Amino acid sequence: MDIDLSTEDLAFEKEVREFLDGNAYKPGEDYNAWRMGWFEAAREKGGWDVPKWPQEFGGPGWSPTQHYIWQKETASRTTPWDMPFGTVMLAPMLMQYGTKEQQERFLPDIRSRKVNWCQGYSEPGAGSDLANLKTKAELTDDGQHYIVNGTKIWTTAAHIADWIFCLTRTDDSGRKQEGITFLLFPMNQEGVEVKPIITLGGAHSVNMVHITDVKVPVENRVGEENKGWAVAKGLLQHERTGIAGISNSIVALENLKQKAGTVKRGNGSLMDDPGFRKKIAELEIDLMATEFTELRSLASASAGTAPGPESSILKLKGTNIQQRTNKLTMEAGGLYSAAWGDKTAGPGFAKAGTAGYLASRAYTIYGGASEVQRDVIAKNVLGIKRSGK
Amino acid sequence: MNFDLTEEQQLVADSVSRFVSDNYHLESRQEYAAEPGGFKKEHWQTMAELGWFGMPFSEADGGFGGDQVDTMIIMEEFGKGLVLEPFVPSIVLGGGAVKRGGSDALRAAILPGVQDGSLQLTLGYAEEQSRFDLNDVITSAKADGDDFVINGQKSMVANAETASHIVVSARTSGGQMETDGITLFLVPADAEGVSMDSFPTVDGLRASEITFKDVRVSKDNVLGDVDQGHGLLHEVVLDGILAHCAEAVGTMEMLYKDTIEYTQERVQFDHPLSDFQVLQHRMVDMFMEYEQCKSMLLRATMEVAASGVDATRTVHALKHLVGKQSIFVGESAVQLHGGMGMTEELRIGHYFKRLLVIDAQFGNADYHLQKFAA
Ligand SMILES: Cc1cc2nc3c(=O)[nH]c(=O)nc-3n(C[C@H](O)[C@H](O)[C@H](O)COP(=O)(O)OP(=O)(O)OC[C@H]3O[C@@H](n4cnc5c(N)ncnc54)[C@H](O)[C@@H]3O)c2cc1C
Repeated sequence: MDIDLSTEDLAFEKEVREFLDGNAYKPGEDYNAWRMGWFEAAREKGGWDVPKWPQEFGGPGWSPTQHYIWQKETASRTTPWDMPFGTVMLAPMLMQYGTKEQQERFLPDIRSRKVNWCQGYSEPGAGSDLANLKTKAELTDDGQHYIVNGTKIWTTAAHIADWIFCLTRTDDSGRKQEGITFLLFPMNQEGVEVKPIITLGGAHSVNMVHITDVKVPVENRVGEENKGWAVAKGLLQHERTGIAGISNSIVALENLKQKAGTVKRGNGSLMDDPGFRKKIAELEIDLMATEFTELRSLASASAGTAPGPESSILKLKGTNIQQRTNKLTMEAGGLYSAAWGDKTAGPGFAKAGTAGYLASRAYTIYGGASEVQRDVIAKNVLGIKRSGK
Repeated sequence: MNFDLTEEQQLVADSVSRFVSDNYHLESRQEYAAEPGGFKKEHWQTMAELGWFGMPFSEADGGFGGDQVDTMIIMEEFGKGLVLEPFVPSIVLGGGAVKRGGSDALRAAILPGVQDGSLQLTLGYAEEQSRFDLNDVITSAKADGDDFVINGQKSMVANAETASHIVVSARTSGGQMETDGITLFLVPADAEGVSMDSFPTVDGLRASEITFKDVRVSKDNVLGDVDQGHGLLHEVVLDGILAHCAEAVGTMEMLYKDTIEYTQERVQFDHPLSDFQVLQHRMVDMFMEYEQCKSMLLRATMEVAASGVDATRTVHALKHLVGKQSIFVGESAVQLHGGMGMTEELRIGHYFKRLLVIDAQFGNADYHLQKFAA
């Protein structure tokens, strides 16, 4: 056990830096063209566009240390905007449960980011109790299609997504977890109606999706009929590690220090305020530990296999750190944290700080709410059994 | 010691409570907030007619001779409905400065209008660099014959765009951070050289950045003594903190009660959420912190009513506790509502946002903890 980077790792770090700096966004450049070009260049490096994918599917096959280096270096630089639904969440499920045809059909467009996906899991009656979902999929008489009817709620990015992966009910005779089927279908078709839901910070990111008589070919089913729960759960584990956002938090914390440094207090700045410093220090200490919890889990999960229950630990710790970082950013805005319109004075980050704080409250709700995550750890990690269950 | 309301106080509490429950539903509140000025003028007049504005003024000034306890009663009810009308800026802060520091003539000219609602005051005390320090004042006022000439800027002034007068802290001598050398002025909002930039705040209220450029005010408009305004400002701000904390306590009560109600209705895993012990415990904590804040509110309010600025340390304790625990209650309410808690559709999100703004006013939880410890 040692903490030094090997000569090879140092060489890799240099290569990563050169790549990131060489492909950095240049002001004035067409953003979308740069974005697509960046992923293309990363792909040519040998799978750097999909760092977590296994080598057999074109991933880079990095060691845990290499992942760590990549995260650290990308977090401190501007990389293109990306959504997790395709590459991080759906792709591993297609690799594990999809047919060869499905892999060939969907993975390339997921990888190139040409097709945006959204996640049709939650329903008005199925939040934490996801298995309670009611969106119905009925097989047509010829066995060629499912007809889907129901309502999904909180669907992030449904208004900009091209496709949805959608949990449906194909059997309600047995246990709730049995009888769920995992379907893929395009958003842009008759019968799919997307209604915005505005969240606390005033943003439109989530939606209600009404699905009426949508016809989905059986080839678009991932895994067997009625066996979608395993796919659904596997995907959630990948989602959770993503939500933890450890490397982003490292950057966010540095940004916070920099912002607080611009807020004048007496002869110094807010960073000289003992109360504020202490809270930043506590946050930093938690983050240092969580960074290594993540590394340990990366090291133990041999490349390509699903992350285990540690993903629940990372989600709880990671989201707590993000929420505290956001809260301190809001606090750094002081009086101006309340300003919501176009104001002419005060720190430039104040409004975004408050909006960020409000948005961060959802981190402990989606991807498995914290209370339920603790249940998962108690049961699956600690092996605590409840009597009478 | 006695925690009972007098018969008159109970009547006021009931009438404010009725007004709030009759008029302040979430939808109507959002409509009022969208009106010019950000509140409903008719409500402002109704409140004046019901006599609420006269509560904290002496009988000599045309009021009912009440104290901080009477304001607390009103504000706690206002907190339950997220009332938008500028009671605190006009009655507690602006009115509080004039009643304490105004000459006989100035009080006679201003306070009747404040109480009948025809005048609306506000207080400009913060500056872009000052954060929460009342003594950090750059805005200057220079004596010139019988006048003072004010130059500078005031930040995040509540409801300034509808105000008739602004109470302004300005430096008449000394360095930027000195407590001595600050003077309070009553400045007509339409005085030449006053300009403002107004915007909404995250809780749906309104604030302004105000610039003063060679604004001339008569020395008759000085509140208190020249150079000695800091003490007066401090007293006024104590009242402001008490009022906002009373509001926050009313808001916290609604948050914990709404959460109990919601978790009893929402079913997951074939159980109402309220069956889950971890949620029960969280709601018990919300309830306890509400009760603790209420205790501290009563303690601080009664101490200030009895002994004024000598109770400052208790007010620091109150503002710290309310800041910290009201956000705990707000965050918990959102968490226990799940996705619904993140929307603008339920009132809990609006309560939560108001509490964030209250924490950032007159010093946040951290600031007052440090003052208390000092
Ligand atoms: C911003 C945002 C984006 C989202 N994006 C998506 C998306 O893209 N796709 C998608 O499908 N969904 C999405 N969701 C939905 C999210 O997954 C759900 O909100 C989440 O699963 C919680 O469900 P719920 O909102 O119904 O809350 P509920 O399940 O009603 O939970 C309410 C509260 O009760 C607690 N609770 C529930 N059950 C138990 C129990 N057994 N024991 C103890 N406590 C319990 C919860 O922890 C929570 O605090 C999103 C949500 C948000 C807020």
